[in-house]
Amino acid sequence: MTGGPRDPAGRVWVRAVLVAMPLILFAIVGVLAPVLAPADPTANDLAAGLLPPSPEHVLGTDQLGRDQLSRLLYGAQISLAVTSAVLAVSLTAGAAIGAVAGYLGGWADRVVSRVIDVVVSLPGMLVALAVIGVRGPGVENLVLALSLWSWAPYARIARARVAGMRGSPHLDALRLLGAGRGRVIGRHLLPPALAPCLVYASTDVGTIVLGVATLSFLGLGVAPPHAEWGQMLIEGRPFLASAWWLAYPPGIAITAVVFASNLLGERLAAGEERPSVLRMVRPGRARSGQTPEPARAAVTAEPPAPIPPGSAHGSPEHQTVLLVRDLSVSYPDRGERRRVVAGMSYEVRPGQILALVGETGSGKTTAALAPFGLLDPDARVTGSAVLGTGPGARQLVGPAPGERRQINGRRVGVVFQDSAAVLNPLRTIGAHVDEAVRNAGRGGRRAATRRVSEELLRLAGLPDPAAVARASPHQLSGGMRQRAQIAMALAGEPELLVADEPTSALDVTVQAQLLAVLARLRDELAMSMVIVSHDLAVVARLADSVAVMYAGRIVESGPLAAVINNCDHPYTRGLLDAVPRPGTAPGTRFRTMPGQAGTGPDDAEGCGFAPRCPLATAACVHEPPALETLVRAAHRSACLHHPGRPAAAGGRGADSC
Amino acid sequence: MRSTGRLATAGGYVTRWAVDTAGVLLAMSLGTFALVLLARGDPAAVLAATRAGRPATPEQIEAVRVELGLGDPAPVRYLRWLAHACTGDFGLSLRTNTPVGPEVADRLGVTLALVAGSTAVALVVGVSVGVTGAVLQRGVLRGTLRTAALLATSVPAFWLSYLMVLILALRLRLVPTSGMAGLSTWVMPMAVLGLPAAGVLSRVVAVTLREALDRPYVRAAQARGSGPLSIVLRDGLPNAAGPILSVAGFGIGSLLVGAVVVEQIFGWPGLGAYFVHAAGARDVPALQAATLVMGGGFILANRCADVLQGLIDPRSRRGWDTRPRRAPSGGFTARLRRGAT
Repeated sequence: MTGGPRDPAGRVWVRAVLVAMPLILFAIVGVLAPVLAPADPTANDLAAGLLPPSPEHVLGTDQLGRDQLSRLLYGAQISLAVTSAVLAVSLTAGAAIGAVAGYLGGWADRVVSRVIDVVVSLPGMLVALAVIGVRGPGVENLVLALSLWSWAPYARIARARVAGMRGSPHLDALRLLGAGRGRVIGRHLLPPALAPCLVYASTDVGTIVLGVATLSFLGLGVAPPHAEWGQMLIEGRPFLASAWWLAYPPGIAITAVVFASNLLGERLAAGEERPSVLRMVRPGRARSGQTPEPARAAVTAEPPAPIPPGSAHGSPEHQTVLLVRDLSVSYPDRGERRRVVAGMSYEVRPGQILALVGETGSGKTTAALAPFGLLDPDARVTGSAVLGTGPGARQLVGPAPGERRQINGRRVGVVFQDSAAVLNPLRTIGAHVDEAVRNAGRGGRRAATRRVSEELLRLAGLPDPAAVARASPHQLSGGMRQRAQIAMALAGEPELLVADEPTSALDVTVQAQLLAVLARLRDELAMSMVIVSHDLAVVARLADSVAVMYAGRIVESGPLAAVINNCDHPYTRGLLDAVPRPGTAPGTRFRTMPGQAGTGPDDAEGCGFAPRCPLATAACVHEPPALETLVRAAHRSACLHHPGRPAAAGGRGADSC
Repeated sequence: MRSTGRLATAGGYVTRWAVDTAGVLLAMSLGTFALVLLARGDPAAVLAATRAGRPATPEQIEAVRVELGLGDPAPVRYLRWLAHACTGDFGLSLRTNTPVGPEVADRLGVTLALVAGSTAVALVVGVSVGVTGAVLQRGVLRGTLRTAALLATSVPAFWLSYLMVLILALRLRLVPTSGMAGLSTWVMPMAVLGLPAAGVLSRVVAVTLREALDRPYVRAAQARGSGPLSIVLRDGLPNAAGPILSVAGFGIGSLLVGAVVVEQIFGWPGLGAYFVHAAGARDVPALQAATLVMGGGFILANRCADVLQGLIDPRSRRGWDTRPRRAPSGGFTARLRRGAT
């Protein structure tokens, strides 16, 4: 939970022991009560009644002059005895019933499972009360009453465990060797089924101790003169106001045991919890030799980077919708921070489409979403990202949450990749779009808002917007959901549309239709876009400029034609070579790149692509290449060799792409 | 066509649920009847003695035995008992020789009022604490809330009552120590019963809401410019509702059981106190009636939560969708079931 390097396994173990400490203490005290107790817990001394704590009676005496400390210790003994008996009975019976049912399978298993379901769904305390009600109080009846319902979870655990092992070849071998059913169950199935039962028992202690105390408190459990915690409390009740020492110690003892048991249960259960979605999305572990992150820069204090020369405000061709400079994103990783995007700079001009391309894990989605605060809360974004120019310009890195809401949904619309996951399954499409319309300040009365929503859905290319608005997300196809997302993104008539893999996971005809919608938006509304894609066909169809990403950095960027036709970086060339082209003879194999993608920007000292690069030399491994402008303006590449440059020593011509 | 399809599938779902619930209730009634078989001593002898006011003669006992039909085989007696129970007739109390049914009906009102009040406490405190815990990413307050919630679920109700009596009634003299007259007497019983349930609820709300808030659709809502309140209310809580509902159902059920202790301590004339008296006197017909009513209420509260959970989620109304339903939240309930009395 907290930062700093640590040994997780050892620490978890130490913590579990600490948590279980009251339980361990409870067991020790329960066993050793006769040794530890200073006095006989049942010895009356009416002359010494209701004495406050003193050296002689550390916890005072009760109304009959009995030593409270001794009674508390003996209370642990009786509580422990009843709890152990109940656990022994229910664990044995439950595990045996569950193991037999799980082994036999068939109708016996179904009947037993049904009985277990019913027993588990009964209120345990009520059953115990009713059973004691007809049987009378006393220790044996207490054990019976509590065991009658507490066996069921053990049976369920054992059944599941054994049923899982039933078909294993190991058991077939045993049966072939002539082992009988009893032997198979008793020797080979029960022991492994007992382990999870024992773990569960440690968390069951609290329930049973609480049950024993409650029943005794109601006069239906352990009978006087035995000292039991619940019973001590009911006996002391008339003297509560004057003798506080009768009220607190037994209650604290019960609470401590139950609390420890519950906490232990929570810890054990947490170990089985599946990781959150975001933890799975987050990049993998750092490798050794990782470069530590430069000194921490607080997001809010980060000054916007100076605007580079050549992009002065004023002239239309130099206006930018989004100007990103030196953008880095890092996530916490084992107490350190690990960058996944480093030193990104790009810009989007009015009415233009920028495509971020790269393999899965190259950081392109992170780079596209980071300016808009749409990453995991753990992500730290540094650098500068300015939306718009002139008086409406806003720094997007590190604004207040309220300011963010004036930008997202109004000036920027986002279309996410996985349309099934980004729509709330419980709300209709119309409710989603209505919300977007209201957030953008274009809503009115319900019907008016809905009219705007339907108009947006139609704009996104959905022919029957009224029906779509009434539908739930799961009733639509992937393509329709993606169009609905586009409708939402357009609600605020944004300056900039960010689309993360808008067409992946769709079939080719639907892809083509969606691309047509996006192209129309650009042509008719002059909308600027950032499109994230791994699909160069999509990029070639839409983009005006391209930024190729590898391992969290831009390796090549420039106008579409320049990058496609005169690519410079070997990684870009690799990407292009992997695309099937019309005109190649059938049966021609694509050239693919060797090696693995998905490293971070700080994992390698030199060029991140060097391990996979056909041109790599010793220099590449030591020196990270900078983005350098090539012959044509605005075309940049980060490669020491610059194979695309006509004068390059490699001798490969500019027409090699 | 679409709407009839939805009705038909929802109807089928409710029918399956009703049949299932009836089965569990029937099983419980069988168990309740079986209490008679577990009983020590002869109910006929006890009732005869109550009527006579002194130990009864063998003739008197035999007369009662015939009157109650105790000579019949057990299955016959069960069916007769069940048929009578369905009409509200639970026989005569062994303790008072008066009909059990009307007494149970009278007292049920008190218990339901107590449970309703505590449910309100549990929902308001539990949901607000849980939402706070889910929204806070980390920090001292979040840890404190978690620990306090777990502590609330671990404190025995009877001791919590003591602490409240000592502090609120005796030290501060804010409320009377016991009884059921006027609003001030409701404070402590409702708090004692409601706070542990609030602890359970807040932990589930915190965990499931946090999980819901980590979903991609929440990020999409942020991208649309939705505010935190809207996100919690529209995207977070509805999607976390499944486990929350089933725990709330379980919580209400356990409030019914917890009422046994609380009514006894605060001297409320409810069904719980009746249960304890009947258990102390081994009054089998009264015990059976109280067990059937309270157990039935417990099971119904749980099952209603289940059916609501299914109806909330459009994906579980099957018919056009073949994808599996969301995993049942039984794991949660089962985990919490241990922690509750």
